[in-house]
Amino acid sequence: MTIRLEKMIPLPMLEQDTSGSEVWEAESLLLEQGKPYVVEAPSGRGKTSLLSVIYGIRTDYQGVVSIDDRDLSSFTSKEWSLIRKSKLSFIFQGLELFDDLTALENIQLKNRMTAHHSDERIMEMARVLGIDPFLQRKAGILSFGQQQRVAIIRALCQPFNFLLADECFSHMDRENSLTAYQLIREECEARNAGLILTSLNETGLPNIDHSLRL
Amino acid sequence: MRLLYQILWKDHSRVHLLGAFLGTLAGFVLLLAGIQFYMDIKSVLSENRDLLDPEYIVINKKVNIANTLGLTGGGFTEEEIAEIEAQPFADQVAAFNSNEFPVQAYTEGDQVPNFITDLFFEAIPDQYIDVKSEDWKWDPETGTIPVIIPQDYLNLYNFGFAPSQGLPQIPKGVLSMINFKLRLQGQGRGNYDDYNGRIVGFSNRVSSILVPVDFLEWANEKYGYFKKNDPSQIIIVSKDPTDPSIIRFIEEKGYDTIREKLKSSRMNIILKLVISFLVFVAAIIIGLAFLVFLLSLQLMISRSSEKIRRLNKLGFHYREISRPYILLLILLMAGITGLSLLLTSVLAGQLHQRAEAWSLNISSSLHGIIFATALGLILLISVANVAAILISTKKLCK
Repeated sequence: MTIRLEKMIPLPMLEQDTSGSEVWEAESLLLEQGKPYVVEAPSGRGKTSLLSVIYGIRTDYQGVVSIDDRDLSSFTSKEWSLIRKSKLSFIFQGLELFDDLTALENIQLKNRMTAHHSDERIMEMARVLGIDPFLQRKAGILSFGQQQRVAIIRALCQPFNFLLADECFSHMDRENSLTAYQLIREECEARNAGLILTSLNETGLPNIDHSLRL
Repeated sequence: MRLLYQILWKDHSRVHLLGAFLGTLAGFVLLLAGIQFYMDIKSVLSENRDLLDPEYIVINKKVNIANTLGLTGGGFTEEEIAEIEAQPFADQVAAFNSNEFPVQAYTEGDQVPNFITDLFFEAIPDQYIDVKSEDWKWDPETGTIPVIIPQDYLNLYNFGFAPSQGLPQIPKGVLSMINFKLRLQGQGRGNYDDYNGRIVGFSNRVSSILVPVDFLEWANEKYGYFKKNDPSQIIIVSKDPTDPSIIRFIEEKGYDTIREKLKSSRMNIILKLVISFLVFVAAIIIGLAFLVFLLSLQLMISRSSEKIRRLNKLGFHYREISRPYILLLILLMAGITGLSLLLTSVLAGQLHQRAEAWSLNISSSLHGIIFATALGLILLISVANVAAILISTKKLCK
């Protein structure tokens, strides 16, 4: 799967100085499956907007975005929900967890749509990220860092060709971030999926071939 | 998906939904019981039709002072008869013929006291008469005129006049055996003939002294010299005497009839009024309850709007998100249908028991139309609500 951006810019960004941006100024930017991309930029440069446009939850932009050479604006609601179930996965900056459900239920909500992972695999991922003791707790009472890890596992519980990760390590320490990153890379490689990861600051993450400046 | 239901059902307002449920249930029971009751009474009315014998309705014009002074005739004009014939409830209409010459009846012989009286005759076709007798025919050869008098006349004599005057009561059979003479007078002095008269029956339907039509035609031809009058009575045959338009027409036109016979028509009017009021109230209740339903579900959706957006972001289609709401709606609607049918049949059973005490035959089971109405309404409410649910969830999704 490929994602192509042609002079795409979210409308609010038009008021900003975007000179030198490798995304907003690009005549044609091609994002390819299987490759990891990192978008590093300070707040307000449109990181979340970029991922939201690709994910179809923001439509206030000009220019053209296409997936496999098909304009996003032509996708129906049915196609979008199929894409979000099996082609694109999103780790939201705002996490979008259900506070009333337990951490495990939040993960299962996603996993049951496609039955992608076994319960054992989910437990294993939770153990790797160190949140297995909290799985039966309501998501609402977990710390933001713990919630972030729940959201990461949830996003990995489906097939995808691209994983969109929006500042997903912001509330984790260096060690936890690296572990989570390793897990994400493993899961992406297992699917031969692309990764678009945004970050406020220099991530210093290993094995990133493509870095995009906003 | 259980988790989806768990997430979306959390935001319902029990009070709203319960209120809407009970309101709709009350409206349904009222409406269904009203229809059931209406159908029952209607069937009772039509069963009792033969008993009341109102298929034959005799009408006349009300007598007023203008008639007395001779300013207007008391009879029905041809236009008026045509108008009556045109009424949908009037299947057959016949006018009464009357004699156009003087008639006198008198007795002679020893067995009975002598008396003489002026008389009148009227005639209607045989099919309108409730007396069947072999003697009911006019044979000029024998010269005996068969006569039918109202049962009421005999009753008046037997139960009113005779006891008060110390006279013996006369059974029908005896009265039929009395021979009397009928003198039909043509124009001019001495131009008359005497015939034998015989009472061959007593009518419960017609308050008049009846002779066969062919006799009256013959006699009018032979003796008649009065100016021909418009018929003063009309007999109407109606297949459905419960039809409320009969009494409406008669009242509107200022005609008169034996009220008792139109009891079922009158009852039908009252019944229809009561039932239509009931249906009106039920419709308002159902309408309001429907609105509360719609608003409760919409409120539930808008309270969950953040969650719905979130689910949509996770890949749920708005149709999948609508399912918990639609299932809730279906459960509530099924509950209303089941409970309202149950309550209505309990009410019908109660009515059946009470009606049995009055020996009225009212069905204890529900009429088919009750099920049809309940299902139709439920379907209507459900479809409208499902549409509203789909529209509002779709609005929240991308």
